[in-house]
Amino acid sequence: MAPKAKKPAATPAKSAAPKTSKAAAKAAAPPKVDAGVVKAKEKALRAKKSVVRGTHDKKNRKIRTSVHFRRPKTLKLPRAPKYPRKSVNKTNKLDQYCLIKYPLTTESAMKKIEDNNTLVFIVDKRANKPMIKMAVKKLYDIEVAKVNTLIRPDCEKKAYVRIAPDYDALDIANKVCCD
Amino acid sequence: AKVKAKELRGKKKEELLKQLDDLKKELQILRVAKVTGGAAAKLGKIYTVRKSVARVLTVIKQTQKDNLRKFYRKKTHKPKDLRQKKTRALRRALTPYELSLKSKKELRKQRLYPLRKYAVKE
Repeated sequence: MAPKAKKPAATPAKSAAPKTSKAAAKAAAPPKVDAGVVKAKEKALRAKKSVVRGTHDKKNRKIRTSVHFRRPKTLKLPRAPKYPRKSVNKTNKLDQYCLIKYPLTTESAMKKIEDNNTLVFIVDKRANKPMIKMAVKKLYDIEVAKVNTLIRPDCEKKAYVRIAPDYDALDIANKVCCD
Repeated sequence: AKVKAKELRGKKKEELLKQLDDLKKELQILRVAKVTGGAAAKLGKIYTVRKSVARVLTVIKQTQKDNLRKFYRKKTHKPKDLRQKKTRALRRALTPYELSLKSKKELRKQRLYPLRKYAVKE
């Protein structure tokens, strides 16, 4: 008991002595540095404390206003390829020249030209009416009223191209076949 | 006029495309002639014009591909049709660098126990 009693008695005395000296030294040092040093020391001690104890602050829970969970919208970047997959894109193999193969020159076709102001063409099977219209316009510089198509029994597509009334099918037919 | 590929290769793209257009127009006229009972000379010409069209298209495509290959020569990422075709398995095989990699253990063995050459003294 005796040594223990002595120790506490000794330590306050010891601590008192260095403390006072320290205080004196601190006071002696310039005040600006003193404040900065003290602050930094406090900060460090606080950080150490929080690390040792662990932070147990309140968790911010989101307020859910609906029963359903909806997928959150994330960032969707547009494509920016580093290289094109194909070096060259395919050319259109079915151009106006391939579309319209040749005009028909049968008797019924001739009748159509005279009576109904229409031209009759044999056309590629993959052609459709708007394509035929555009092709005839480009090739013969005429206005087309409408196009009717059918597929013949020998698997060829026949197109009846009715021409606008301000053009004459007979003229065009003569120009086409006698060139 | 016979269209020769050698003459075509010097031309520019616009010229080639224009020539292609002209040839196709001619082909159309010939096909119409075929239907309306044309002369034998015209009908025979269909074949040559068809082949000329093919020749022009070939030259266009070849020069285009060639230019693209030149453009992508130094680049790391090339379009897939400009890369080596080889075979599917070969394309997925280890590269020569990857094959040459050795483990530390192997390197150590090589260093410690190299292949020795012996000679018999006559």
